[in-house]
Amino acid sequence: MIQTPPLAQITWRSHLRALRAIAKKDYYHFIRYPLNAIFRVVQPIIWLTPIYFLGQSFKTDAGNVGFANYAGTADYVSFILVGSMLSSYIGSVLWGMGYALKNEMDSGVLESNWLTPTPRFAFLVGQTVANILFTTLMNVGILGLGWLLFDFSITGNVLQALLVLLPMLLALYGFGFGFAAIVLLMREANTLIDVSDYLLSLFSGSMFPVQALPVVLLPIALALPLTYGFDAVRGILIKTTTLLPIPYEITILLLFMLIMVPTGYLIFRWVERRCQRLGTLGMH
Amino acid sequence: MQAFTLLPALGQPSLASQLRALLTMARKEWTIFRRYPSWIMSFLIWPFIFPLGAIFTARALSGRDGSSLSAFALLAGTTDYVGFLVVGLAMYMWLNITLWDVGFQLRNEQMRGTLESNWLCPVWRFSIMLGPSLTKMATSTLFLVMAVFEYRLLFGIWVVGGNIGLVLLILLLVIPSIYGIGVAFGSLVIRFQEANTMVFLVRGIFMIFTGTSYPLAILPDWMQRVAAWLPLTYAIRAMRAVSLNGATLRDILPDLQMLALFALVIPLAGYWLFQFTERRARRTGSLGKY
Repeated sequence: MIQTPPLAQITWRSHLRALRAIAKKDYYHFIRYPLNAIFRVVQPIIWLTPIYFLGQSFKTDAGNVGFANYAGTADYVSFILVGSMLSSYIGSVLWGMGYALKNEMDSGVLESNWLTPTPRFAFLVGQTVANILFTTLMNVGILGLGWLLFDFSITGNVLQALLVLLPMLLALYGFGFGFAAIVLLMREANTLIDVSDYLLSLFSGSMFPVQALPVVLLPIALALPLTYGFDAVRGILIKTTTLLPIPYEITILLLFMLIMVPTGYLIFRWVERRCQRLGTLGMH
Repeated sequence: MQAFTLLPALGQPSLASQLRALLTMARKEWTIFRRYPSWIMSFLIWPFIFPLGAIFTARALSGRDGSSLSAFALLAGTTDYVGFLVVGLAMYMWLNITLWDVGFQLRNEQMRGTLESNWLCPVWRFSIMLGPSLTKMATSTLFLVMAVFEYRLLFGIWVVGGNIGLVLLILLLVIPSIYGIGVAFGSLVIRFQEANTMVFLVRGIFMIFTGTSYPLAILPDWMQRVAAWLPLTYAIRAMRAVSLNGATLRDILPDLQMLALFALVIPLAGYWLFQFTERRARRTGSLGKY
């Protein structure tokens, strides 16, 4: 007879099973509301259309020369499409971790879920897995629509860009852990996530080259490692003028990742212990 | 023998009891609103940060030397792109808040499982939506007032500077349309049991077609024809004319007439949709589902 570990035994495989189960639950939620699923693809186009027309209203006979002064390319549509794609990952992680936590608080299942012998990181990461996959699918759809509607084109190496995206995404997870801790403390997610998501996207230059920021605000953008992620991916994909040489920007992203992941998780664990001590997990 | 004065029982439906129900719903919403103090952050920060994305994008598009600004001025009638964007986006934010607040009113009750039991109460069902909307109207007005002062302080733009009376008139005429849209929208949310998507869709339509962040003249003809059916198009155009170009009552009269027409039609359409949804929900027994 082959001895297999019982289901209740805690192993790496059981953690993976938990992660998969959480992602599966989110998948069921997602497909339960088909309008939502369809709209995930349409939504960025709705955001991009006004920016497209704003760009058109600044277009001279020679094209978007003003924009080219800053970005090194007059193709502002591709610039914004790439930015929008990358910022959708910021949203995925923040909403996936913070909002899912708040949803569980509101539904009254957070406390009981956390009594299961599943590590917290599996809960937090699991809640973003489905979201990240949907975001990636959505981005493929956006690229297709962008190509059809706004003449979007890529001239650079996509694989290289994906390699830059990876440390940026991992670092974002670290940020997400810390963020989930704030949601646990404040028991409110909507405003927090909305504002943080917007500000992070804004100052990382998802919509415009950060060089266009007023001098007083530029240091904020330069202090955000995500700025270099956006900049490097654009530099690779659509050949924009980058803030720093691309290898330097990748180094900054790697450092960010190495610091952010453990720091974010430690903060989350500290806050979680505090909430357990105060007994506030069941409140909302 | 003791004489008793006959007072109507609290449970007896009367105009006073309907009013009590309405005020109770409004008070409940106010209590929830105060319970989550992050609204302060939301009210202080959003009016300021929301237009920044469009403003910095416009700044980048105009170029370091402003070389592309002339193209914008030709279409918008002003080189002041900050003022142009701030006025349009403030109106959009107002609509957005209303859609979330009024639109989610019934949906939130549905999610909490209290919609069905609330609807069994012997009160005018519309008050379940209208009561909290009164609170939301007060809070969104506060939001607008804060936005006006923030724009003055941070961007140096006095939105009501042209003619405060005209600005208030535009706002008064657009309120019924915005809340009518909110009520219609809230009813649709109950029908489709999906709120987020509906908000994104409806506000997206307004964002794209009403010229919140760009001159309408840049739109293709078919899009301009769609824009003509949306009240916000007229409100934003009139508001920009008054705030940025010092327009008079005579200049914006056609826009005001259209706003008045929308103010009559849209709330009625909203109420009709609410009643239709209510009847349908009772027939299909879908109130308790979500």
